[in-house]
Amino acid sequence: MKTPTALVLELIEAIGDDAVVWHDEDLLVYEYDGTIDRGNPDVIALPADTDDVSALIRIANKHGAPVTPRGAGTGLSGGALAARGGVIIGMNRMRQILNVDAENKTALVQPGVVNLDLGIEAERHGLAYAPDPSSQRACTIGGNIAENAGGPHTLAWGTTTNHVLAVELVTADGEVQWIGHDTRDEPGYDLVGCVVGSEGTVGIVTQALVRLVPRPTAVRTMLAVYDSVRDASNAVSAVVASGIVPAALEMIDKMTIAAVEPVLNTGFPLDAEAVLLVEVDGPESQVEAEGARVESILRRFEPREVRSATDHEKREHLWAGRKGAIGALGQIMPNYYLLDGVVPRTKLPDVLDAVYEIAERYRLPVANMFHAGDGNLHPCLLFDEREPGATARVLDAGGEIMRVCVDAGGAITGEHGVGLEKRDYLPWIFTDADMDAMKALRAAFGPTENFNPCKIFPAGHGCGEAGHQHHAQQQIAKFGPKAFV
Amino acid sequence: MSASDAASPGKPPPFEGLDTISEPDRLARYAVDGIRPSVAVLATDISDVEQAMADASAADMAVVPHGGRTMQCLGMPPQRYDAALDLSRMNRVVDYEPEDFTITVEAGMTLSALQQQLAINGQFLPLDHPHFEQATLGGLTAVGRGGLRRNSFGGPRDWLIGMRMVQADGTAIKAGGKVVKNVSGYDLAKLFAGSLGTLGIIVELTFKLRPQPASDQIIAIAAPTFIDAQRAARAAAETAPFLNGCIALSADAAAEARALGARVLHEEPTIVLRANGLESAATEVLSQALSAVREAGLDGPERRTSEIVETWQAIADLESQTPKEHVRLRLGLPPANLAQAQVLLEEHLNNPAQWIIAADSGLLFVSTPRVDADTIARLRRELGPLRGRLTIESAPPELKSPANVWGPAGAGARLMHNIKKQFDPHATLNPGRFVDGI
Repeated sequence: MKTPTALVLELIEAIGDDAVVWHDEDLLVYEYDGTIDRGNPDVIALPADTDDVSALIRIANKHGAPVTPRGAGTGLSGGALAARGGVIIGMNRMRQILNVDAENKTALVQPGVVNLDLGIEAERHGLAYAPDPSSQRACTIGGNIAENAGGPHTLAWGTTTNHVLAVELVTADGEVQWIGHDTRDEPGYDLVGCVVGSEGTVGIVTQALVRLVPRPTAVRTMLAVYDSVRDASNAVSAVVASGIVPAALEMIDKMTIAAVEPVLNTGFPLDAEAVLLVEVDGPESQVEAEGARVESILRRFEPREVRSATDHEKREHLWAGRKGAIGALGQIMPNYYLLDGVVPRTKLPDVLDAVYEIAERYRLPVANMFHAGDGNLHPCLLFDEREPGATARVLDAGGEIMRVCVDAGGAITGEHGVGLEKRDYLPWIFTDADMDAMKALRAAFGPTENFNPCKIFPAGHGCGEAGHQHHAQQQIAKFGPKAFV
Repeated sequence: MSASDAASPGKPPPFEGLDTISEPDRLARYAVDGIRPSVAVLATDISDVEQAMADASAADMAVVPHGGRTMQCLGMPPQRYDAALDLSRMNRVVDYEPEDFTITVEAGMTLSALQQQLAINGQFLPLDHPHFEQATLGGLTAVGRGGLRRNSFGGPRDWLIGMRMVQADGTAIKAGGKVVKNVSGYDLAKLFAGSLGTLGIIVELTFKLRPQPASDQIIAIAAPTFIDAQRAARAAAETAPFLNGCIALSADAAAEARALGARVLHEEPTIVLRANGLESAATEVLSQALSAVREAGLDGPERRTSEIVETWQAIADLESQTPKEHVRLRLGLPPANLAQAQVLLEEHLNNPAQWIIAADSGLLFVSTPRVDADTIARLRRELGPLRGRLTIESAPPELKSPANVWGPAGAGARLMHNIKKQFDPHATLNPGRFVDGI
């Protein structure tokens, strides 16, 4: 029988023993997120309110235990992993939508609210919550805020940072403060802009006031099937150049089609090279006119077929292949490594060619699904971790793909975050002075060295050989350390 | 302290080799709240700014950055002010990729020069700012506010994707990049946007862009009273959420905007509606809005204009178009609370004039010939429950300190002071002009 440590006992005293998880077998589930890294927390604490969060952070600080905030654990950069052990503060019990103010188009929510649940509640008021990451059925608003999550529909409306107005934040020192304002009129620094996307390294958001947008009166989704990725990419460029800002502009490639078709019955021809999804929304007449225009552009690039739908159910069917893509990859291989590079949109065709070349060289199947409209690629390298050396090959290939994105004038992550996974690659795009300035911002939020440690910045002391640091070091040595955008 | 006093023996004097101005009469234009610097540095590139800041820091000289000076009226009087750092010569396009819808420019480029460049490719940066032919991108980003169309477009923070800055000690850094979506590292560009030049000098900015809409339409409708105009504008904003501008003007504001070039306006309370997109869509949105306006009881004729930019810019210019001795106030609050807030202001202010209300986003401007600090404090107290934030846009220096331009610091003050200490520990940049003495 395991005996509770002094830290565990104090946490139990603070929030009750039904809210503290510390037996080894119960901790297992908290070792993972959506990446291939692992972390080993000592204890999980599940706060019920803001005071709990503050108390938990103070107790952890007193014991010198690292703190790692966690939402649904769907993250794709290792942000919710306890890299140095310590306490994971799981926000799942704070999951109330506290208020929807339809007239002012805002919602007040707790961080454990699931993204899709907020979307559904907003819909009841004729409104929408724009950021819609593909994991929206599970991921939480708190996690979305930490990672500045995107999603297919952020092309027109922007990512999470454009939609969070104010937050109640418990900083790394345990202090509680509301920052921001309903209409962004609080004088002073844009603290909310600093917190969104800080990957849970400066504090824990315990309430958020988010902006809702008017729900479009009409939506039209179009799907076009192409015989080459380049044709599909050229169609993307032509749509964007036409002056239309689609609500979404997504692409999947042949390998993804092969994965989704048998599971989701999407009706995609298995020998097609690319499927493009374009959605336009807004007032009825706009959707009608823009839809017709987009369709005629899509047809200029010799698609095999173009499908179009305006009613909800049929549109969902067109989306199924994109939204279910990641889940379907298990059809092909048991494991995947999902990258998140972002490049200027016009560089997409060349960068995709390079991605295919790299994958082939490393003998790895690659499935591509991506936000074509904003140049955000998600190459998915498929492998079986039981095969000796496979994980190493995947990590090396991943590093090369990130490098291609950087060399094309892009960045290493568009919406998943740096986290544990990409921290050693940050010097490819930022100088020491740039990173020092970021660390200065972090320091302003209190004693943050123990707060979600080992994330974002190249590994410091005590972060050990977490994950694939070793491979990152090799890749960095191979390509030279710096390639500033 | 003057530049020559600051020089220590054996070291070159500050700003050696840079283009500077030290004649008192030529320095007059750099005065802020009546305080003149002892020197102005005219930077032509980033390395000039690096040297200027390194020299100023070493000599413990306080620096005020200058762009187009359209908003130097904003903020508390500087606690110290030794050197002006003029960035207006840094006005080049660094990199423009029309097909990627991104542009990188130097901080001293004016908004109108940028829009002209972008218009060649049918693009634009959707930011409104007073006096766009003078206002620089660095300056308007440092002020960091959304304008009259913020309901549709947000503010500079929402369009910025990258930034280069020079820190107080002269170190150049960058944030973000040139891609429209990027979460690599902390979003320092958002920290610097709206920091009023108190953390570092913004020297280069990268924005994402929008295609110009196929159709852009404006309709003006007169109302019997300003209250009627305001009520109708709220109704329009509620009914037609895809409007791209929904403004109520008082009669004197409309007249002033007319004098500034908005020929569609006359001296009468007016609502101005704007919609864009494809022609059919813009027309649909405006007709939805119009039906709400009619239902709200306005029966005046619809006046249309083809002078979209001139009309809108004239209204935007009103934000800072106030006789010097007058006080211009800005209030931001949830739009549903506008009517109540307007009544409070009407009650407490002496001869309030030139009202502008953006009914879709909860933004209000008003001016008054004079107001005392107690009245401002009382207004702030009473606006608190309405979530209103009242700032003084421009005022005679003697009112600024007692009335507190920014109002009491919110709960974030502690973090803001920490940030300032991290980025500008010796208070070299714009000392004392920002929130809570920052």
